[in-house]
Amino acid sequence: MRYKSQRVAYPYFAVALLLYGLQMVLGLLSAAKYLGPDPLLHILPFDVTKEMHTNLLIVWVLTGFMGAAYYLVPEESRTELYSEKLAYVQIVVWTLMGLTAVIGYFFGWTTGNKLLEQPYPLKLVIVAVMLLFLFNILMTIKKAGRWTTTEGVLVGGLVASAVLYLPALGSWDNYTMAVFYRWWTVHLWVEGVWELIQGGMLAFLLIRLSGVDREAMEKWLYVIVGLTFISGILGTAHHYFWIGVPSYWLPVGDIFSAMEPLSFLGMAIYAYFALRRSGFSHPNQLALHWTIGSAVYSALGAGVLGLAHTFASVNKWTHGTLITPMHGHMAFFGAYVMIVLAVITYAMPSLTGRKDDRQSAVAMWGFWLQVGGMFGMTMAFAAGGVAQVYLERIMGMGYLDTQSKIRIHFVILIVTGSIFATGVGLYLWDFFFIQSRHALRVMREQRERGGVPVEAPSAAPAPGE
Amino acid sequence: MTKRQTRLFFFISTGLFVLVFLGLTVDTTKQVASLTHSDTITPQVKAGDHVWHKYNCINCHTLLGEGAYYAPDLTKIAKQRGAAYLTQFLKDPSRFYSEERDRRLMPTLGLSNQEISDVIAFLGWVSNIDNQGWPPRPILVSGSAAPQPVGERPVAASTDPVALGEALFRSSPPGCSGCHSIAPDVRIVGPSLANMKQLAEEALKSPKYGGEAKDVEAYIRESIVNPSIYIVPGPTYSAGGMSLMPDDFGKTLTDKQINDLVAYLMSLE
Repeated sequence: MRYKSQRVAYPYFAVALLLYGLQMVLGLLSAAKYLGPDPLLHILPFDVTKEMHTNLLIVWVLTGFMGAAYYLVPEESRTELYSEKLAYVQIVVWTLMGLTAVIGYFFGWTTGNKLLEQPYPLKLVIVAVMLLFLFNILMTIKKAGRWTTTEGVLVGGLVASAVLYLPALGSWDNYTMAVFYRWWTVHLWVEGVWELIQGGMLAFLLIRLSGVDREAMEKWLYVIVGLTFISGILGTAHHYFWIGVPSYWLPVGDIFSAMEPLSFLGMAIYAYFALRRSGFSHPNQLALHWTIGSAVYSALGAGVLGLAHTFASVNKWTHGTLITPMHGHMAFFGAYVMIVLAVITYAMPSLTGRKDDRQSAVAMWGFWLQVGGMFGMTMAFAAGGVAQVYLERIMGMGYLDTQSKIRIHFVILIVTGSIFATGVGLYLWDFFFIQSRHALRVMREQRERGGVPVEAPSAAPAPGE
Repeated sequence: MTKRQTRLFFFISTGLFVLVFLGLTVDTTKQVASLTHSDTITPQVKAGDHVWHKYNCINCHTLLGEGAYYAPDLTKIAKQRGAAYLTQFLKDPSRFYSEERDRRLMPTLGLSNQEISDVIAFLGWVSNIDNQGWPPRPILVSGSAAPQPVGERPVAASTDPVALGEALFRSSPPGCSGCHSIAPDVRIVGPSLANMKQLAEEALKSPKYGGEAKDVEAYIRESIVNPSIYIVPGPTYSAGGMSLMPDDFGKTLTDKQINDLVAYLMSLE
């Protein structure tokens, strides 16, 4: 940690991970309901567990993004944060908003609009918190009078995320138009501006972990995010095939969403070349694992598995089947979960005042169980989805009859999902009970020595400077 | 390439595609009114839209293929099952499905009668949206529309009324196969039509029969056009003495189509 105010990232990471744990509980519960019968049918039905599961994901990943930005921006702009206090106020309001939403869903307080279920007053809180956050970040950069391309891409993605949330505040009398503008937020987030955030974090991590030349990395970063927007903006069309809009969206969706894997593939190649040049010598092996993992899994999950059902001629049959969660789970995990965990893993040793970067075996198991579990879940959704497409969509077997025929895949989903959740549990265990406990010990030692820091802040430039 | 050039590439291409996207959006907002028949979005359809959101339907079902994958797609449900059935279903789903048999059950939501008719109006409006013909084949809730093996199909399908009737039976709309099985003793929602002739003969003999048909053919025709004339006894077939089958096939189907259906159903013994 080169700047004291970077420490505000810690509570963001802690909240993010706690919500990640809760998300797992609700995910497993939702999967179990696919097997049925459901003893909680009248207390906590599927629609509630599912909206909690997806909303927790969005909230915790955003929390992780914000924490990562608070860690990264001071280091890139070489200054303390504009206001630490504001960052603390922000995380408290944000967490309260998230918990209110989850509890509200339990009592049926929802807009019933997929992924944007947050009730209107909470949406206003989200906007307010985002503005507060951006104010703090932009004032920091202004104060420093210095910014790098890496943080520019990251912050650009965060500003655009806030802007693209605005359509979610509107309402439309025509359901088709409501769906149309819903994708402005959802698609342009996950297949647009969030990729900027991912790209910015990836570049930051690769520069730090590999010591590769910053100039070269940032040059190619522009190419990657350029490809993201070339394909991603008009790629929104792949959500417009069957909702009641003009037919020109079909060829537009075919062409541009077929190009979407390019930027993910670009990120994987980017990571490969950065690390090939410098080797895998950085002591924080776990952060390296998460970083490379993110590049590989997003290329596979978001790129390849997205491409698998993006053409209108294929999507006609797969639209609205388990093929969608097959792609969705691995894409979200690869592109956003893994990159946030990579930044957390990278930042933790310095946030907790550790002298060495070595990781616990618990955390490494956490990595492999999540990666393996997610691969298994993706396969379970894929097998179930393909069977569903043939039986229900092509042969014309009824929905309920088909679901009972593909039960075995739900069993596999629960088994692999449990492996995944165990991995998440180990990661949390490492974060809260191994690393954080170490931080407490360091703080105690500091107090005993009369406030003298154990180690002086390093004045040496970080790799890649 | 220099960093300056790649930065230019990013800003120019992004600006260009944002403009194209906004242009297409403007055109879409102009065309969407006719594609979705927005003149038929009545206050009741709007109220139904509100009911759809209020009860979080999208987090189990899909509509236009979008939503969650835990319950059937409802894009064409209003055409497949009709208002009478949907009304009874929404009052108490457990009357039609059971957790033991189907492994899944929709909770009883406690909708008011007004909310029920509103949401059915909304689903009726959705079912008429011109959405590039999706789904390409009907998505059924239960039962099966699986076609017979190719070898068993009549060769001259275009002229044979039985073959035409069968094709219509499996199409949606009218969606007959969504509720009626043609396998013996398989109940989807309406009675199995596996032994249609026998069913008709029993009805004609029943003292409760108050229709005008004198023979099997006339009875089948009458049941299609006016399903409540005689109610076949069964737990999910009727409510308050009225059949749950849509009662507008006399208007929505042509005489020729009804003749074909009758010919097909006559062939089921």
